[in-house]
Amino acid sequence: MGDKAKEPAIELAGVSRTYHRGGETLKALDHFDLTIEQGSFTAIMGPSGSGKSTLLNLVGGLDRADAGLVKVAGEELTTMTNAGLSAFRADRIGFVFQGFNLLPVLTALQNVELPLLLSPLSGKERRKHATHALTLVGLEDRLDHRPRELSGGQEQRVAIARALATDPELILADEPTGDLDRASADAILDLLQRLNREHGKTIVVVTHDPKAAMAAQRTIHLDKGRLEKVVENEPKEGVAKEGEPAEAAAPVQDGVAAAETSEEAAS
Amino acid sequence: MPWTLLFKNMFSHPFRTLLTMGSLIVAVFLLCFLRASLVALEAGVAGASSNRLMVQSAVSLFVDLPLSYQGKIENVDGVAGTCKLQWFGGIYRDPSNFFAQFAVDADRFAAAYPEVELTQGSHEDFKATRTGCIIGEDLAKRFGWKIGDTIPLQGTIFPRTDGLPWELTVSGIYKAKTANVDNQTLWFHHAYLDEALVAGQATGPRGVGVYVVALDRGASVERVASQIEDLFRNGPQRVQGTTEAEFQRQFVSMLGSVPTFLGSIGGGVLFAILFAVLNTMLLTARERTHDLGVMKALGFSDAIAFWLLLGESLLVCVIGGGLGVALAWGTQGPLGAGLKQLIPTYVIGQETVLEGLALAVALGFLAGIIPAWQASRLDVVEALRAEI
Repeated sequence: MGDKAKEPAIELAGVSRTYHRGGETLKALDHFDLTIEQGSFTAIMGPSGSGKSTLLNLVGGLDRADAGLVKVAGEELTTMTNAGLSAFRADRIGFVFQGFNLLPVLTALQNVELPLLLSPLSGKERRKHATHALTLVGLEDRLDHRPRELSGGQEQRVAIARALATDPELILADEPTGDLDRASADAILDLLQRLNREHGKTIVVVTHDPKAAMAAQRTIHLDKGRLEKVVENEPKEGVAKEGEPAEAAAPVQDGVAAAETSEEAAS
Repeated sequence: MPWTLLFKNMFSHPFRTLLTMGSLIVAVFLLCFLRASLVALEAGVAGASSNRLMVQSAVSLFVDLPLSYQGKIENVDGVAGTCKLQWFGGIYRDPSNFFAQFAVDADRFAAAYPEVELTQGSHEDFKATRTGCIIGEDLAKRFGWKIGDTIPLQGTIFPRTDGLPWELTVSGIYKAKTANVDNQTLWFHHAYLDEALVAGQATGPRGVGVYVVALDRGASVERVASQIEDLFRNGPQRVQGTTEAEFQRQFVSMLGSVPTFLGSIGGGVLFAILFAVLNTMLLTARERTHDLGVMKALGFSDAIAFWLLLGESLLVCVIGGGLGVALAWGTQGPLGAGLKQLIPTYVIGQETVLEGLALAVALGFLAGIIPAWQASRLDVVEALRAEI
């Protein structure tokens, strides 16, 4: 256990990934090396086509490297079967996507319950966990709302609650603020910071947004599939500024968000 | 298995799902109806006695045999008894009131057809009354006839010379124990018919269409048939002895290609509905691509993606098909009553119900297997890029 605790959350060594599209060969990652420590908050930036999303997909076990070593949470992903990768994603990773990716036919609670269907929990326990996760992101009063009945910021908070539901060590977020207005984006970044700081989650965020990158402790810059530079950010608490309508900036206290969201306070 | 998701997915487009189910209901109902009709047409064959021979002209069923043949047939070893059977073809008031009428030996009829059980009246009364007849209970119900009523039949093959109808008196009402005899037939004295023909009170061919031959227990059907055929090999009329099943089959084949036609319609309906459901499921799978990508990203395996799609297809087909079977079963009473004249024994039996349900499951499987396979092979990254 002690050795495991010291192990990096993510370890990439000599990783290459090439795509072939329409007769063209695109090197998304080229002999890429990276180590991310447990409990850290890392942002990945770079122009389009620099390999950010490919990196996130490889770390999340959604894609496979052509060469090199991909080790996440102590598990070597390159040798895993498809079923093994599915189980790995279910147990160890929480995904947050730019487009929220909630299932439209399910309510907020059911969306958060979705990954828990793969666990041995009973229906009652699943609902308890999902309700807790939604409370954590300040949406305890939106349990039975469907995605179309929620604002963009609320949808993303449901997506974060879904990522948290299985209590994964690692949360991977691909442009989590890309589809949000500034206030909602800041609230989401604030929430991610709190999850990192207060719950010890390792968080990796791919973003184009410099402000989102500043929320992280470290920013990794990619270009043409290679590591360009690593920037250590100044420690900073909270992204939402006073006076701004920080939709999701519900303070996390002992794992439970305060009853009133700022949205309600504003209304 | 995430059942909640399965049901929610199924009704994510409620109108489309209901339309698909609606077409399944109609198709499976139609298939059950066709199947039951075919079973009814074959019922005479299926319920035919194996201990009875039908002796007819070797030329055609429509050529009569001489009356003198009866005694000669009865002398053949293995023959327990015979009974004349002559198609009468009379009209009761209007040609649309069609039902079968046969002139038979009144004193031999009960022995020849033990499955015809009288529920009212008696064989003794029938035998004693020259103008007496026995009618099926469905026929009695259809025209409101009861014991003692007179039934006027206008002769077509055997018209009376005075232009009046034949008058028959109801001596008995029967219910057949087996499906080879329907409950809509009228049997009357052959002697009554023959006497009128001899006396010149009626015109028409004098003879017998078929001799019904009851065999001794253990007698070989083939041997007796062959002996009877040999007996009249040199005329004046050559005969053909067939089992009752074979005899009944002639009537089914008289319908020409109707059974084949019904089967073809069924096959066509089956393929049409299969393509319709397959098309719906392929459309569903395409729409579900992004959601399946999300689920796979969350850790759902390829196998679960496969079962989600296949399960949805099976669920739609089993619900739709099940309702179709239920509709066929629920309407068999009124439909059977309406079709009584065409298909006397129309019944949705247990076999038809099971076949209908099996068909629904097979449709669900066939329509869902391709989309399910596609879902299981879906690449997560590509699926997540798919447009919502």
